[in-house]
Amino acid sequence: MDIVFSQVAWLAPLFPLTAFAVLTAMGRGLGKAGAIVATAASLLSFVLALLIAAERLGDSAEDYTGRIEWLRAGGVVLHAGYEVTNLTALMLVIVTLVALLVNVYSLSYMKDDERISVFFAYVALFTASMLGLVLADNLLTLYVCWELVGVCSFLLIGFWFRKPEARAAAKKAFVVTRIGDLGLLIAILLLYWNMPNHALDYTSLYNVFHSQSEALSDSLTTLIALLIFLGAVGKSGQFPLHVWLPDAMEGPTPISALIHAATMVAAGVYLVARTFDVFEASPNALTVVALVGAFTAIFAAAIGLAQNDIKRVLAYSTVSQLGYMMLALGSGAAAAAMFHLFTHAFFKALLFLAAGSVIHAVHTQDIREMGGLGRRMKLTAWTFGIGALALSGVPPLSGFWSKDAVLAAALEKSPWLFAVAVVTALFTALYMARLFFLVFTGSSRGEAVVYVHAKESPAAMTVPLVILAVLTVAAGFVWTPWNEWLPGWLAGSGAGEEEAGAGGWNGVVVAASVAASLLGLLLGWLVYGRKGAAVSAAAAKAPGLVRILERKFYIDELYDIAFVRPLAVLGRALHVFDEVVVDGAVRLVGRSVQAAGKLNTRLLSGQLQTYGLAALAGAVILIVAIAGRRFW
Amino acid sequence: MFNNVNIEFTGEFFAFFLLAVCAIVGAVLAINFAKVVHMAVSLAFTFVSLAGLYVLLQAEFVAFVQVLLYVGAVTILMIFGIMMTKHQSEGSETGRPLLETLAAIGCLCLFGILFYAIRSASFPVPTGELPADNTMAIGKLLYSSYAIPFELVSVLLTVAFIGAVALAKREPEGGNGEGAEPAAENKPAPLSGEEGKTP
Amino acid sequence: MTMLGSYLTLAAVLFCLGLYGVLTKRNAIIVLLSIELMLSAVNLNLVAFAKYGINASLRGQVFSLFTMTVAAAEAAVGIAVLISLYRRRATVNVDEFNELRR
Repeated sequence: MDIVFSQVAWLAPLFPLTAFAVLTAMGRGLGKAGAIVATAASLLSFVLALLIAAERLGDSAEDYTGRIEWLRAGGVVLHAGYEVTNLTALMLVIVTLVALLVNVYSLSYMKDDERISVFFAYVALFTASMLGLVLADNLLTLYVCWELVGVCSFLLIGFWFRKPEARAAAKKAFVVTRIGDLGLLIAILLLYWNMPNHALDYTSLYNVFHSQSEALSDSLTTLIALLIFLGAVGKSGQFPLHVWLPDAMEGPTPISALIHAATMVAAGVYLVARTFDVFEASPNALTVVALVGAFTAIFAAAIGLAQNDIKRVLAYSTVSQLGYMMLALGSGAAAAAMFHLFTHAFFKALLFLAAGSVIHAVHTQDIREMGGLGRRMKLTAWTFGIGALALSGVPPLSGFWSKDAVLAAALEKSPWLFAVAVVTALFTALYMARLFFLVFTGSSRGEAVVYVHAKESPAAMTVPLVILAVLTVAAGFVWTPWNEWLPGWLAGSGAGEEEAGAGGWNGVVVAASVAASLLGLLLGWLVYGRKGAAVSAAAAKAPGLVRILERKFYIDELYDIAFVRPLAVLGRALHVFDEVVVDGAVRLVGRSVQAAGKLNTRLLSGQLQTYGLAALAGAVILIVAIAGRRFW
Repeated sequence: MFNNVNIEFTGEFFAFFLLAVCAIVGAVLAINFAKVVHMAVSLAFTFVSLAGLYVLLQAEFVAFVQVLLYVGAVTILMIFGIMMTKHQSEGSETGRPLLETLAAIGCLCLFGILFYAIRSASFPVPTGELPADNTMAIGKLLYSSYAIPFELVSVLLTVAFIGAVALAKREPEGGNGEGAEPAAENKPAPLSGEEGKTP
Repeated sequence: MTMLGSYLTLAAVLFCLGLYGVLTKRNAIIVLLSIELMLSAVNLNLVAFAKYGINASLRGQVFSLFTMTVAAAEAAVGIAVLISLYRRRATVNVDEFNELRR
């Protein structure tokens, strides 16, 4: 099959990058026109991604790699390149689609912001970096884009930098993800030193880690895998580096959708999936990944039960779902993880954009002040409901299929992980039900004026919702018990059936999954959905537990005590050191020079005779020194 | 220091001693006088003594020029300069004891060094005799071996003359007349007179 | 001590006296005169060497003539500068000229 589009895949990140350059060059004066430019660029990228994906769907599509020499230092050559595989094609579609929808949505959502063109420039750069990350054919290029993604998330989370919370959140996101980035960097360096020919591209990785060649020892492999995973933990908000993700809600809502669905957090999962060869060579690392994923999943889901900010609930849900993906990866089912990433991208983007629509209407994020909005915003309510059901794993929505794939993989790995995952599914359904019922049903608990004025959002915001809702319903059918080509396709054309991940469908899994989600929804309806149910019903029954959950298991406080405070004390000590010792030394130097200068001005009085005297003294000393040597 | 002195008390030495004392006395007085004109005159006395020493050294032409130039021209020039400037602040000459002490120490050190060098140097016995007709010999020498330096010196004098005139010329009105303007009408006269005498 | 040594010592005395005058006298004209004195001391050396040097010749005398000429030129220009300065500053005191400082 002809692979014409894959050859120009490098255009995909180039479109938004150009948009970014144009918007940055033109400055704020562009205003609305800039937004259109950025949206058009993302549309172009999306079309290209679709074409590539269509091309890849052909049976014998070869992986296409293009690379250029980037740096040559002595004998070391670093390449920058791109590689199109089925996995990247899928990611391209996800990223460009969500980016496009977010762009369209933001046209309306951000239209009153005076820095709208800056916003779109950031979004364009964000998209471009993510696409570059996806397309990169080696770890170094990936790392560059990886950091760019981090920078963009920093810029966008702190977009409303006049809000102190936004500033703090942006800083937190940046600093926390840096911890993970450092791990990735070390992993890349280790690979660089230990790989034959210093190769960092995925093909070489595949060859080295699949041939059981003794290039790298087992412990080194495990170390590298864990370090890569540390990077993924930082970016994908896994425990214990999850703390930045909920705070990232301070950014504009479309950005939350972008971060949570397509770009930032997907990068971590994608990284692990892309370097899965390394993980497969190290069972211990895989177990760690699975354990961290499972723990994160249930941990975040539990926190999500008690949050009152609509976006925070969704944020913890994202953390939890990312835990699922990691769990699937750790269970050796990369395909299941990517599938879940794929479906999750749609319904999480849908949920965030719908939440943004709600926030846009009532100007609050506190679900305790909402209620009854379903009657006012029918479209939003319906689409949000679809997203919530999909997230809860209700058949036949996409979330059901992908979650089942994950659960099946978990069961294969260990029954305990499976049990945790099922409980998480229950929690997921429960908090989504709580969220939906509190926001859209019942009567309004907020100010009446706000409620009366709440109305459906404009078309630019609802159209993406509808598109995403349709996709949410439909996306799951790419991998169903009767349609199992996806794992094989994802694993690549060259791979055989034995690599096709955990494909077996298990009646137990389906039953458990459906039961958990339905039970969760029922519980949610019982507690929050029935007429007259109190918002704080759960809090009244188990205050201690709810408090712990509301405080997010005191993780932030723990970090505060364990890291932030000591560092602050250290910082203050260093500050004092700086003021007294360093500045003191600097001042000493300055003062002494000043003093010398003053002395000099007094010497250089302009009096000729003084100068003459000095010259005479100099001459005498010189003569004595030169001629007098003979006598000593 | 003078233990190995074996000076024959000839007439030449006596004359030298006398003239040397005159010169030193003149110089010392020049430094110690309070009035500027007295200083100039006592320096002229030193210059005359030096001319006598030149005669003693069989340099009659140099002695003649010394009298003409130093006593006749330079000192007179200085006196003109003194006359053209005001000197009401002469009483306060002793205002800088530190500078004077240091200068005295420095000069004494220098003299000590020089004296030590002169004492420790061994001068060879002179050979040859100076020509009898000093002036003619110098004239011949100047116009033969030293023709080029001689011409250069005349150029130098011309330049100095023009430069002196240009410097001392009255500045155009309105340029800067803040200083007191002493009478300067007769100022070019000594300069040109001086120039005429030199060669 | 030979006659040459005596002449040189005398020249050294005169030179140091002139130097002292240069360094301490306030009046710029006296400073100029002291410089002339120093030059004369050097001249005395030259002439003395002309007679008592290894080869007695007139070269030293010729050289002293040149020195005198230069000294005369220096005195003329020096006085001109002084008068010019006096016009501007109404003083000939060396310690009041501190243009070098500016």
